[in-house]
Parts: sequence; structure tokens; C-alpha cells
Amino acid sequence: MARMKFICDSERCIECNSCATACKNENEVPWGVNRRRVVTINDGVVGQEKTISVACMHCSDAPCMAVCPVDCFYRTDEGVVLHNKDACIGCGYCAYACPFGAPQFPSKGTFGLRGKMDKCTFCAGGPEENGSQAEFEKYGRNRLAEGKLPACAEMCSTKALLGGDGDVVAEIFRTRVIHRGKGSEVWGWGTAYGKAPNQGAAPTGKKS
Amino acid sequence: MLLTRKGQSGQRSPDRFSSSLTDSLSRALPTMDRRTFLKRSGIGIGAGIAVSQLNLIQEAGAADDKPAGKAKVEVRRTVCTHCSVGCAVDAVVENGVWTRQEPVFDSPINLGAHCAKGAALREHGHGEYRLKYPMKLVNGKYQRISWDQALNEISARMLDIRKTSGPDAMFFVGSSKHSNEQSALLRKFVSFFGTNNTDHQARICHSTTVAGVANTWGYGAMTNSYNDMQNAKAIMYIGSNAAEAHPVSMLHMLHAKENGTKIIVVDPRYTRTAAKSDQYIRIRSGSDIPYLYGMLYHIFQNGWEDKKYINDRVYGMDKVREEVMKWPPDKVEEACGVPEAEVKKAAETMAMNRPSSVVWCMGQTQHTIGNAMVRASCILQLALGNVGISGGGTNIFRGHDNVQGATDVGPNPDSLPGYYGLSTGAWKHWAAVWGVDYEWIKKQYPSQALMEKSGTTVSRWIDAVLEKNDLIDQGPNVRGLVFWGHAPNSQTRGLEMKKAMDKLDLLVVIDPYPSATAAMAAMKVDGQQLNPNRAVYLLPAATQFETAGSVTASNRSLQWRERVIEPLFESRTDQMIMYQLAEKLGFGKELVAKLKLVPGKGGMMEPEPESMLREINRGTWSIGYTGQSPERLKAHMRNMHLFDVKTLKCKGGKDPLTGYDLTGDYFGLPWPCYGTPELKHPGSSNLYDTTKHVMDGGGCFRANFGVERDGVNLLAEDGVYSVGSDITTGYPEFDHVLLKKLGWWDDLTEEEKKAAEGKNWKTDLSGGIQRVCLKVHGVHPFGNAKARALVWNFPDPVPLHREPLYSTRPDMVVKYPTHDDKMSFWRLPTLYKSVQQKNLEAKLHEKFPIILTSGRLVEYEGGGEETRSNPWLAELQQDAFVEINPKAAADRGIRNGEYVVVATPTGARLKVKALVTPRVGPDTAFMPFHFSGWWQGKDLLADYPEGAAPIVRGEAVNTATTYGYDSVTMMQETKTTICNIERFTA
Amino acid sequence: QDVKTATPAQSPAPQAPPPAAGVPNVESVDILKQNQAERSRDQPGNNAPVWREVKQGERHYSSLPGLESGVLIQPKARFLGQDRALTAGEAWRQYRNGPLTLFGAGVILAALLAVAILYFVFGKIRNKEPPTGRSIERFTVVERTVHWTVALSFVTLAVSGLIMLFGRYLLLPLTGHMLFGWLTYALKTVHNFVGPVFAVSIIVFFVLYVRDNFPAREDMRWLLRFGGLFGGREPSAGRFNAGEKIWFWGGLVLLGLIISVSGFVLDMLVPGIVYSRSNMQLAHIVHLVGTTLMAAGAIGHIYLGTIGMEGAYDAMRHGYVDDTWAKEHHDLWYEQVQSGEIPRVRTRPRPGDAPAPINA
Ligand SMILES: Nc1nc2c(c(=O)[nH]1)N[C@H]1C(S)=C(S)[C@@H](COP(=O)(O)OP(=O)(O)OC[C@H]3O[C@@H](n4cnc5c(=O)[nH]c(N)nc54)[C@H](O)[C@@H]3O)O[C@H]1N2
Ligand SMILES: Nc1nc2c(c(=O)[nH]1)N[C@H]1C(S)=C(S)[C@@H](COP(=O)(O)OP(=O)(O)OC[C@H]3O[C@@H](n4cnc5c(=O)[nH]c(N)nc54)[C@H](O)[C@@H]3O)O[C@H]1N2
Ligand code: HEM
Ligand code: HEM
Ligand code: SF4
Ligand code: SF4
Ligand code: SF4
Ligand code: SF4
Ligand code: SF4
Ligand SMILES: [Mo]
Repeated sequence: MARMKFICDSERCIECNSCATACKNENEVPWGVNRRRVVTINDGVVGQEKTISVACMHCSDAPCMAVCPVDCFYRTDEGVVLHNKDACIGCGYCAYACPFGAPQFPSKGTFGLRGKMDKCTFCAGGPEENGSQAEFEKYGRNRLAEGKLPACAEMCSTKALLGGDGDVVAEIFRTRVIHRGKGSEVWGWGTAYGKAPNQGAAPTGKKS
Repeated sequence: MLLTRKGQSGQRSPDRFSSSLTDSLSRALPTMDRRTFLKRSGIGIGAGIAVSQLNLIQEAGAADDKPAGKAKVEVRRTVCTHCSVGCAVDAVVENGVWTRQEPVFDSPINLGAHCAKGAALREHGHGEYRLKYPMKLVNGKYQRISWDQALNEISARMLDIRKTSGPDAMFFVGSSKHSNEQSALLRKFVSFFGTNNTDHQARICHSTTVAGVANTWGYGAMTNSYNDMQNAKAIMYIGSNAAEAHPVSMLHMLHAKENGTKIIVVDPRYTRTAAKSDQYIRIRSGSDIPYLYGMLYHIFQNGWEDKKYINDRVYGMDKVREEVMKWPPDKVEEACGVPEAEVKKAAETMAMNRPSSVVWCMGQTQHTIGNAMVRASCILQLALGNVGISGGGTNIFRGHDNVQGATDVGPNPDSLPGYYGLSTGAWKHWAAVWGVDYEWIKKQYPSQALMEKSGTTVSRWIDAVLEKNDLIDQGPNVRGLVFWGHAPNSQTRGLEMKKAMDKLDLLVVIDPYPSATAAMAAMKVDGQQLNPNRAVYLLPAATQFETAGSVTASNRSLQWRERVIEPLFESRTDQMIMYQLAEKLGFGKELVAKLKLVPGKGGMMEPEPESMLREINRGTWSIGYTGQSPERLKAHMRNMHLFDVKTLKCKGGKDPLTGYDLTGDYFGLPWPCYGTPELKHPGSSNLYDTTKHVMDGGGCFRANFGVERDGVNLLAEDGVYSVGSDITTGYPEFDHVLLKKLGWWDDLTEEEKKAAEGKNWKTDLSGGIQRVCLKVHGVHPFGNAKARALVWNFPDPVPLHREPLYSTRPDMVVKYPTHDDKMSFWRLPTLYKSVQQKNLEAKLHEKFPIILTSGRLVEYEGGGEETRSNPWLAELQQDAFVEINPKAAADRGIRNGEYVVVATPTGARLKVKALVTPRVGPDTAFMPFHFSGWWQGKDLLADYPEGAAPIVRGEAVNTATTYGYDSVTMMQETKTTICNIERFTA
Repeated sequence: QDVKTATPAQSPAPQAPPPAAGVPNVESVDILKQNQAERSRDQPGNNAPVWREVKQGERHYSSLPGLESGVLIQPKARFLGQDRALTAGEAWRQYRNGPLTLFGAGVILAALLAVAILYFVFGKIRNKEPPTGRSIERFTVVERTVHWTVALSFVTLAVSGLIMLFGRYLLLPLTGHMLFGWLTYALKTVHNFVGPVFAVSIIVFFVLYVRDNFPAREDMRWLLRFGGLFGGREPSAGRFNAGEKIWFWGGLVLLGLIISVSGFVLDMLVPGIVYSRSNMQLAHIVHLVGTTLMAAGAIGHIYLGTIGMEGAYDAMRHGYVDDTWAKEHHDLWYEQVQSGEIPRVRTRPRPGDAPAPINA
């Protein structure tokens, strides 16, 4: 089974925010909730600036999942980390735990009222029936079930953002690296956890 | 029991969920094998595999996988309306509602990719913040009125103005957002009203490029394409921030870079484009000519120039060389702040990695010497022999989605469609094409002289209103203004614009988002007089998604947009509004004389876009807008996958629907696509390319300036000709006389002869002359000449550096002063030296020590009202800001994120947030120009028409910009002025 | 807080040195200190310096407003007792799910065990002498109301809080996700609002009760003899004995304060606080330690206040205790009442009130 992964190639990412808007568009994500965001390191510093787009990395041993008081996360066979909004109590713990700041909440959190957590679904919807209205309203589109890849990666202006089967993604990236002859480190799971977490694709450009 | 649908939590009972997903995926995923994956992610290009090499698989069309409901689902192919890259989009429409947006991976231009604006297009299907019905300003508040009332009152007012002051008292600001068809129709509309006072965004965008480049070698357009840039071995971006302004072009550029292309970025700011460069060069804003001459200095010193090319194909390079030698490295460094080694390295990179390409944009065009700057860039490319070559060229990234098209066929004050100018011949040509009587048109104008005299420009309409009547070069002052798809905050000198707005008798805004103009008009400025008779109307125009039509991308490719949805709310298409207004003004019949009318919104009649395009096809021979029939364009749109990403060429294939054979066509039939559609000219993907046959888009430099000057041959030397040409040396443009001389006249059919008699290649409505040239003899109808490094009809025939009117460098102003004032220039007195001198004497540089430049953010577009009304975009940039260097900020005690005041010599004081960043150097500050809705610290929300205010409002930089206009085109100076930045204290 | 800032509003500029035009700064040759420009020059395409920075968890530029939108990865953190630093979220998750949960479960189980031992080994503490029939007003209506407020809010908080902490292991398997989710959602919401009620009520409690809770000479002896737990007469005590005072000062005041403050932070009600994830993690840890300790204490306390000691609950419920009870448990206070220093009934009867249930 494919294991879905994201890679963001900072040699290509130009902070165009297409990924962020594509996500809003496809999943009708409300103002204030940002499933994906784009960050620039060393902004404006000559020779040092790099931009990276980040969303949920669908971690293998996901901290969010572990910490959720109501255990509302689940992982699909493709390694996509999803959650159940009906069970979610909006406690925010997943947000504290997630290294990447992926979980988002529709309201400010005063009196602990955050609303139901929302995060990147890898465009794979939620527990409702694939493609159902209920699924769409709660989680956005289920593109995977339609045989499509995440909207953000599909619309990325420079194809910096790759999303899909970890093996394929890693191989594409590796091809690119070979073309460039350099620069193999990449924004991926390992950046936060230090190592490739699972038997799936190592997002370092190597195929494991 | 919601959870049970797909099973319990994954950890404890993974099998249930996954099995259901597996089921669904096993249905869905098999279509996504490796190749589909590569395609869906547009990866082919990234991995160095040309996408066209992949066997293309029919996509799981969005229509097939509609959600459970039984909705009627259609997919409409359209094109992003935001910038000139021209990214295609598939819009999914369910029961008339735009529900989804899918990337078009087949598009050779964007391969499915988008920037933020393109990815947010579907919001146009909601249009929540749009103007929903006609409105009128009554006692300072906008009130809803009916369309009938609006059209009646507006036309009555216009007729009254024409009667009392003449047609030149009206000014029509058209739009680069209009389709080609609407643009051309608007030029006709304005002509029939009887004035040349019309203009559009190109004036304040690439007018200097168009003029400079056209005068150098023929056509004022990007020479190659985004795609072709993949063939460059080195690319220099000078004054272009493509990563924000043309993001999807970076797809091609970064791919090229991975294959070894060297990237140089020359810009006062370390931009997102610069971050992707191999070499970044920070120059002082406005010093492009010294920098380019610095490069040429090293090129000439080291003999890196292409001597044969210069000899054979360039005129006047020796004169340029003399000027270049006046710019040794120390002087270059003094002017631009770039050390010799850096300049030399860039020169060497460009010379040693040929073909090399130059990209420029607003950083060069928007200056009082913009025309000279762009020519200096052309000269660099001519010296390196890079023009007319795949991988080379001057890749001038255009601005709005259809600014190229609107420039080509739209509302220009100095020309009828197709750059025919305003001569009697031009009028007769178009009168014939439009099917109206020349004499009738003449009667609409006050005089033949005014009919043939260029109008005022959009950059100066405020002066046409405010200037003393005896100083302006037309009868009346401008009293009535129509903003037909143009923002107010995009023109400089906002404080004075407000005065002009208050003085007008009539202001009409026809726009889906007219709100910036609306608020500015409604706003009260203390102590400023308001014309008590002024009437302000807002009309809701439909967007380009609510009509069909063609749009010309930067690379000159035309794409056809299908209509996605019906016009929302009470909005009407621009062509419908033009037609309805024309009816009221009394020239409705003439306006649509040769056009087919079809029912539009609410069953009301409007001209059909297809027939409008055919009219353009019938008339625009000069730049080859003749071959792009609606049928051909639609076939291209349906069969994008047949085109090669690198060459844009169709290797073979037929349109399944019509059987049209696309083989050999370049995508979108990039103009010039000469002759009639039947000639099947494939379009020209790279201009002036002699390595191809003219029937394969090949060409040479245009012979537009005579055959000889001062005894020097202006035509190409022997041996320079496009492949397969019957003439193997330079030759002039073709007309009936030359054809006869060459004995080619009889190649025309009898009918063609009749039409071609007395005509030239541009005015022969049969297309016979073009056909014979291209098809029979392989020669270029516009001749075969040299490019001009020396443009003798410009104020500075050899480009000269001149300091901007507002400069922080008095030492440089003394050495490189500006032009003399002009008394009558595009109908207005235009100041240069007197302003610069006054500023020097007033020591403005002491009070305003920071250079203020302005430009773009990726999320917003133009004046920004449309994009700031789109929540998906607005969320990403919520405050107007000024970029200020950490050192400059520290000197002023300014901290990141605080409010500051940007003050300029106009007296304007803008309240914006400080973005403290080393993107800019300590001597420079930058403001994005997309904000409006604040006026010197005050939020104008209350002045907006109810329900039509954008989500994000902020201070417009152009409220504070200063005087200054290009000496050829009246381009406004927006890239170099001066300011001071202070802490904000309430 | 909402500005698109490259760096937090406090520091004016990114750390990186201001660049000279076009030329990367050369600051060192030490490969570990090389900045990206230097590294790119020496080893084109090697982006290690950037990744190093990313992992430091600093705030970078993001046009999106928001406190931490510019943070790619949380900074590293290492909580007490952890052997190495990890990405803060990961460290916190390990801490909460590991030591904190275990600790919480431990103290609570310990408290239950203690109570069980008390009950089964030592049995209910009964009055040694029969009741006299004479009563003393131990708690006025106001005092009782406040106590009940404290008590009920506490129990609510404890139940809801502990379900958040342990429910996943204890309840979820029984109820299933749907029911548990809804229940916990309700309880959590209740917790969020009852928290402040509790916080306010302990302040009032403090004001009402503090006078009699100052340490006194006899408290030491009381403590040394474990309140007479192991036989003998219960040591002398004033109105409140040392155990109660410890509960007062240690439980109600100290833990109450800690819990309330951390709870207010978690509720995002404290102005001026940066509600960053790291601050929330800290608040959460503090809250969790405080609440579990207090819950353990409360188990003991509630035991004694109800089934653990004869007569105690009457005081809580009706406000009156029998003389015998007072004499046996709070002899010094009893003497004060007897001597008239403290009135038997402090509530001044208002007309129409039922007579106080004292046989005086
Ligand atoms: N997101 C977005 N994209 C757009 C548009 C938009 O509004 N938003 N508008 C479209 C339009 S209309 C246009 S015309 C294009 C414009 O596209 P660009 O011209 O690329 O955009 P700008 O930001 O105006 O200017 C480019 C650069 O010129 C630099 N510059 C300033 N002064 C000088 C100078 O004196 N010399 C040099 N060499 N550089 C200088 C600025 O720092 C800036 O980085 O973008 C198009 N695309
Ligand atoms: N300081 C400073 N000023 C600048 C620049 C700069 O860099 N700095 N750049 C300059 C440049 S290059 C340009 S091109 C201009 C751009 O500035 P403008 O072109 O004035 O700005 P836009 O907001 O793009 O204007 C287009 C208008 O057309 C409307 N519109 C869109 N589609 C349609 C349609 O189908 N029909 C009708 N009727 N209306 C439609 C939009 O709602 C919008 O109001 O700004 C110029 N001004
Ligand atoms: C169901 C819950 C509770 C019951 C039945 C209960 C019962 C009692 C009783 C009977 C007393 C009086 C002891 C005496 O008279 O000597 C008492 C005292 C006290 N209770 Fe509670 N209580 C409960 C909950 C709480 C809670 C939750 C707190 C604090 C968080 C609390 C704080 C105190 C304190 C501090 C005292 C001692 C008075 C003092 O020392 O000032 N009680 N409780
Ligand atoms: C004194 C009794 C209290 C107890 C026993 C208690 C217990 C707990 C527990 C066990 C948790 C869950 C921790 C976890 O699952 O990791 C929690 C969370 C929380 N508590 Fe308390 N708490 C108490 C008081 C308060 C008070 C006084 C406040 C507020 C003023 C408060 C506000 C919160 C908040 C905001 C949370 C986070 C839960 C969320 O928002 O979803 N608590 N508490
Ligand atoms: S990135 Fe965050 S939210 Fe996503 S799986 Fe990992 S820990 Fe959970
Ligand atoms: S917010 Fe929702 S998903 Fe996140 S930990 Fe809490 S209950 Fe779980
Ligand atoms: S995968 Fe889908 S949900 Fe996730 S960020 Fe991308 S578009 Fe949004
Ligand atoms: S769309 Fe691609 S290039 Fe643009 S910000 Fe996102 S990842 Fe970067
Ligand atoms: S704005 Fe330009 S680059 Fe962006 S999607 Fe539209 S056409 Fe493409
Ligand atoms: Mo433009």
C-alpha cells in the first residue's frame, strides 16, 4: 500500500501561497484556519533565504494522535492521519503536541472554546462516507478517493510541493537532486523527528 | 453513529476503516499509476522529463466523480484573469454553480500549476463582496438604482457634456482585464463617441517597453515565451520579480536552473526571485542604464559581443559603444553602487552562456526614462546576438491577463487596433472592417485634426481635468470620466486625483469591484471644493468568467475562455453594457454593424464574442491577429495535451470534435499568426527567428523605419533571412508595388488582386499579399531589416542615464539631469527639469532621504480591490506595510510590526505597518501598491457602497507618489521617488 | 500580535547580519557556524545551515498573521526528568502520556488506598461519648454555601478533568467513541466554565476561613501525634486542627492557586500572556501536577468529611455539631465556645426564622 507523504523542495518554493489558497478553495476552509502555511527562513538575507510550505506531515507515530483525550485520530492504510470531528472536544492538545503546528481551530480559545479541530486531511476527507456531503462539510474534499492528489500539491506553482506515495515522491525528488547534483536534504518528516520514522519512504531523497 | 461509517479509531480497529477506504481507493486509485501520478503532480517537467513524452492518460475528469447528488455537472475551461502568464483552469459547474476548480495539467503554459491568485479563482463564483446592482451617489451615500435609470442618466449626462464641451471632454479608461473582443469593441465605442481620450493599464505598465522595443526591432512584445526560457543557458532578471508577479513562469525557470541555467537578478530588493538566483546584484533604484552599460563595457572590452550579428542585423551599435565607454567601472559603481567585479561577473555569465535571455518588468519601465532603460536592455541582447534565438530574446513579462491583447487591439489614445495609428489611412482601414462609413466617423469627431491626434493618457487624466484650460492642447478640459475596469489607486499623485475627482461633472465606474473609486469619490476632504453638479454612477460589470472571449498571454498566445457561469447578481457583460450605452448615445447600430447579436443575460441582446473576434481577425493584419479564428483557438483549448512544453509546438494530432488538424501549430497561435485562418500560419513562438521558415513562425527584424539612414543600410545584410526565403538579403515591407516589381503579383488570385490593389501587407483585407509572401516565397511581409540600437526618433536616440525628478542623490542629479520641460505632450504640459531643479534647490533629499519604490505582492493584483475582496487571498496579507531595512529602522527607533508614517514631498502621510527586513538596503523602502480604502490614516469603510467593501483595506502608496512621466509614453514614475519614514504617534 | 512579521515584534530584525550588496557575508570557516550563504558558496546546494535553523524552532517570516505561523517546528524542550531534549510538542506529549499520567494515576490510587486503609483498618472515627443533644453552630449559612460551592465545583472539575486524562483508557473502551466524545465534550466545556467559579469561590472561602487557620502552638503536637490516629485521645485543636489547616494552606490556598492560575492560562483568560504552545504546555503540566495532587488530597478530605468521621458531615450539611463532637475533636475551640468567647450561634436570627436547632 502506498504511504502518503509530503515533500517541500525549498530550492523551488517561492512563497507563492498557491498551496495555501488551493487548500482553502478545495476544502472551503474558513478564515482563520490554515491547514497549510508558508514560512520563509532568513527572509531577505542574501544567499540564505529559503521558503517552505508546511501542513500536517501525517506522522507515523503521531504525537497528536497519542495525546488526544478522546482518541479521535485514526490512520488510514496509506498512512494518512485523520480525525473524527464528532468526537473531538476541541481541547487543543493535538496542537500543543504537533511539532509542525498543523492542528487549527476555528475560534480563539477563550474559556477553552476552540471549536472542533481542523487540519490537513491529505485531501482524504474524514470518517463519513467517501464523497458524502457530510464528509465535505466537515473535512473538505476526499480527493484521494477520487483518484486525485492533494489540491495543494497539484496546484503548486513550481512543483516544489510534492504529495503522494512516499516512494514515488522520494524518487522524483531524488531525480531532481541528481539533476541539480546537490542539495538532498528536504522538508519532511525527518526534519522534526530526526530520522525517517517508518519503513515507508525516507523523505531524504533516498529510497529505503 | 457517525464513527462507524469507516470504523472506529484507526489504532484500535484499523481494519474497518481501512477496508472501506481500500474499497474506495481500489476503485479510484488504479487510474493513478506512476504515470498518472507524474502527470497529476506535473512532475514530468521537474524530473527533466518533458511531459509530452509521457503517454497521456485520460484524466479522471472531475465530472465523472461527482459527489452523490444528481447535479448537472459541467467542466468549463477558462484562463486565470490575474496575470499575463495565462494559466488554464478547469471550472466545475454544478447546476450553474461554480463548485470546484481543477488544475489543467495539459496546459503547456502552466501544467496545472497556479499561484495563490489562480488557486483562488473559484471565489469569483461567490462574489460576495462585489457590487451587486447599479448605484448612484446621492448626498454622499450610494443608493441602489435600476439599470434603466442608470443607463438613461449616464447617457444623458454624456450627451450633455458632448454638446456643451465636445467629445474630448470625456475620458474613457479602458481595461487590460477586458478580453480582446471587449477591448477592441471599446476602442470602437470611444471612436464613435468622437474622441481619442481613452487608455488602459498598459500606459502605466509596459508602455515604455512597447514603444522602446517596437522601435528597436518591430513588435512591442515579449520575444520568446516562458516555455522557451527553458532553452536559455543564462537568464538575467532586471527589474522583474517574477516569483511574485509571474509565479508560474518560475516553474519553467527553476526547471531550467536545475539543468544548469545560470540566474542573475538585478533589483534594489532581495526579492523572492533573487532568492532563487545564482547571482544577486543590488542596484540603486533608477540606475539601470549605468548598470547595463557597465555590463556592456566589459562585453566590449573583452570582445564578447557578437560582431557578425551586430554587423548583419543591428543598426547604430557604434554610437551606443561610444556612450558605453563613458561608463567605466568606477562611474558605474558611483551610480548604482555595484562593484566592478560583480558587474563583470554578470557580463561574463551572460556572454559565456549563450543563448542568454533578459527579463525585465516594471523595475525598468516605470521611470521618467523608462523608454531608454528598456532600450538599453535590448541593446545588451543585440550586442550578445541573443535576439531572434531560441533561449535568448528579451522576455518582457507583461502585466494583466490581457494587457498584451488590450495593447494590441484595445483602447489606446494613439492608435486604432493593431498599432495602425490614427492616420486617415488607418481610419479608412478600420472603417471598412467595422462596416461603417469613414465620413460618418469623422462627423462624430470635432475635427479631422482631433480625430488624428493622440488623446490624453490615463496617467494624466487628472491633469486633463485640473490643468488651466489654455495650457492644454485640446478644446475643453476633461469633465467626464469612465473607469471601465481600472482602479484609481494605480495612478500616481493620489492627493491630486482626489481633487480631480471632486471637480468632475460625471464619474462612471463600470467594474465588478468599483469600490475603490467609489469610496474615493464619496470621501470628503476637509477644505476641498466639490463640484455640486457632479454625478457618480457605479455599474456592476460581469467578470471574465461570466462571458466568453479570447485573452492574449505575455508570450502572445491567445486562449479562449469559455463562459463559466451566468453573470452574478445584476451584473452585465461589458459588451452588453457597451452596446446598450451606444444605443442610448445614438450609435448602437454602427457599433454592431458587422457583429452578430445573441441573447445574453435576461434575454437582452449583446454582441457575440466569436463574431467580435472575427472582426479583429478581419482587420488586424499588422501584427498577425488574423489567423486566430475562434474555431482554431477552441481547438487548441480542447487539445492542450498535444503541445510540447518546451517548444509549444503541436507534433501532430487532430481535434476530435471538428477534425481540425493541429499539427505544426504553436499553442495559442502566438501572434503574429498571419494571413487568414485558412492559410494555417502556426503562430510565432519566438519572434525574429531566422532559423525557421516564415510559415513555421520564423522571421526577421521588421523594416519599419525606411531602408537607409544617412547613407547607412537599414535592411539586413546579405545572408540574413529566414529559412527558405526566396530573398536572401534584407528587403523592405511588402505592398502592391513591391509585389509587382518582383513579378509576384500574379501569384495572387483574381479576387485577391482586386482587394490588394493600392494596398500593402497590413491593409490588404483579402490577406493575399501575406499569403503570397509567406506561403509562396517564404519571405516576411513586414520586410527584413536591422534592429535599431539607435532610435533617432526618441528624445535620447542612444539611451542616456538621467536621474529621476525626485532623487536622494543631488550629486548625481547635477551630473545626469533630466529632460527639458515639454509644453505640449499628449495634449498636456509636462514638466521635467523645472521640477527636478526645484527639488534640488529645496534640498528635498535632506527631508526625504529614503528612496521609495513600489511593486507587487503575490497574493494581490493591481489596485487590489478584487483580490482583497477574496477571503482566501485577503487572509494572507492583512495590512498595508512598508519594507524598511533594519538599519534605517534602528536609526528611527522603528520596530517590526509597528505602525509608521511614510511621508513624501506631496505632503501625503501614509499610516502603514513597518516590515523591518533586509530585503531592502538602508537607502530604500518598498511598499506594495495593492492597497486602498485608507486615506492618510483614515479607514474609508463608511464611504463604500454598502456590502461592496473589500475585506482588507489599507493605505495606497499612490496617495503619496510624486510627479514624473516618461518622455515618450507618459508612463508614470512609480519606481523611484523619495520619502521619509517616521514612527507613528497617535 | 497580528502583524506579518519576520520576527517577533520585540526584536526588530532577523538575527542574520545585514547583507552587503550581492556578496554573502563571510563570518567564519567553522563548518558548524557557517551561514547558508557561506555554505552555498563552498558547497553549492548544501542547505544544512538552514535546516539547523529550522530545527531551532525560531519564528521566521510568514505573511499569515498569527502568533506562531512563522514557526516551522516547535523549539526543543526537555521537561523535568526527561533524558534528552526533543521537539517541544513531542517532549510534552511524552511527558503527559508518560510520567504525568502515571503520576496522576499514582497519587490518586495512593489516596484511594489510604482512604481504604483508613476505613478498613482504622474504621470510621466515631464519637467516643454519646451526644449531649446540645449543638454548636460550626458553620454559618454563608460558610456552608461557600464550602459547598467549592466542593461541588471541585468535584465537577475533578470528574471532568480526570475523564479527560484517564477516560480514554477507562471509559472509552466501554462507551465507544461517539458517546465518549459527546460526554467528554460536555464535561470539558463544563470544566472550562466551572474552573473560574471554583477559583472565585476559593478566594471567598479563604477570606471566610483564614482567621481560624493561622498556625497555633497546639498544631505541632497534633501533627506529631498524627491527630491521634494511632490511638489515644485526639490531640488538642482549635476550631480547625493541623490537618485541616494543612489542607487549608497547602490544598486550598497553594494548590488551589496553582490550579486556578494554570487553569486560567489554559482557558486563555489571562491578559498579557503570550498564548504560545510552549506556554500552554507549561501551564498544562503545572495544572496537571496541581490537580492530581489536589484530587488526591480531596479524596482524603472528602472521606473524612463524609463517611470517615461521625458528625463531620452534619457540620457541612446543617452547620451544627454536637458538643461531644466539638469537645472530642476541637477541644480548644469548644472551650472558647463554653467560655462564651465564641458565641454558640453566630448567625443572628432574623424575625420569622425558624429557631436555631440548639438546645441551649
Ligand atoms: N501578484 C501579482 N502579480 C502580478 C501583478 C499583481 O498586481 N500582482 N500585476 C501584473 C502586472 S500589471 C505587472 S505589470 C507585472 C509586474 O511585474 P514586476 O515588474 O515583476 O513587479 P514589480 O513588483 O512591480 O517590480 C519588479 C521589481 O522591480 C524592482 N525595482 C524597483 N525599482 C527598480 C529599478 O529602478 N531598477 C530595477 N532593475 N528594478 C527595480 C522592485 O524592487 C521589484 O522587485 O506583474 C503582473 N503580475
Ligand atoms: N506605485 C505603483 N503604482 C502602480 C504600479 C506599481 O508598480 N507601483 N504598477 C502599475 C501597473 S504595471 C499596472 S498594470 C497598474 C494596475 O492597476 P489597475 O489595473 O488599475 O488595477 P486593477 O485593480 O488590476 O484594475 C483592474 C480593474 O478591473 C476590474 N475588472 C476585472 N475584470 C473586469 C471585467 O471583466 N470587466 C470590467 N469592466 N472590469 C473588470 C477589476 O475589478 C479592477 O477594478 O498599476 C500601476 N500602478
Ligand atoms: C463533597 C465534598 C466535601 C465535603 C463533604 C466536605 C466536608 C467538609 C467538612 C465536614 C469539613 C469540616 C470539617 C470540620 O468541621 O472540622 C470540611 C472542611 C474543609 N473543607 Fe471540605 N468538604 C468537601 C469538599 C471540599 C473541597 C473540594 C475543598 C477544597 C478544595 C474543601 C476544603 C475544606 C477545607 C479547607 C476545610 C477545612 C476548613 C478549614 O480548615 O478552614 N472541602 N469539609
Ligand atoms: C481544582 C480542580 C481541578 C481539577 C481537578 C482539574 C483537573 C484537570 C484535569 C485532570 C485536566 C485534564 C488534563 C489532561 O487531560 O491532560 C484539566 C484541564 C483543564 N483545566 Fe482543570 N482542573 C481543576 C481546576 C481548574 C480550574 C480552576 C480551571 C480554570 C480556572 C481549570 C481549567 C482547565 C482547563 C482550561 C483545562 C484544559 C482543558 C481544555 O480546555 O480542554 N481547571 N483540569
Ligand atoms: S503533523 Fe502534527 S497533526 Fe499531523 S500527524 Fe504529525 S503530529 Fe499529528
Ligand atoms: S482538539 Fe480534538 S483532536 Fe485535538 S486532541 Fe483535543 S479532542 Fe483530540
Ligand atoms: S493535502 Fe489537502 S487538506 Fe492537506 S493541505 Fe493540501 S489541500 Fe489542504
Ligand atoms: S505553492 Fe509551491 S511554491 Fe508556492 S508556496 Fe506552496 S510550496 Fe511553495
Ligand atoms: S496570476 Fe498569473 S501565474 Fe498566477 S495563476 Fe493566474 S495566470 Fe497563473
Ligand atoms: Mo502592469
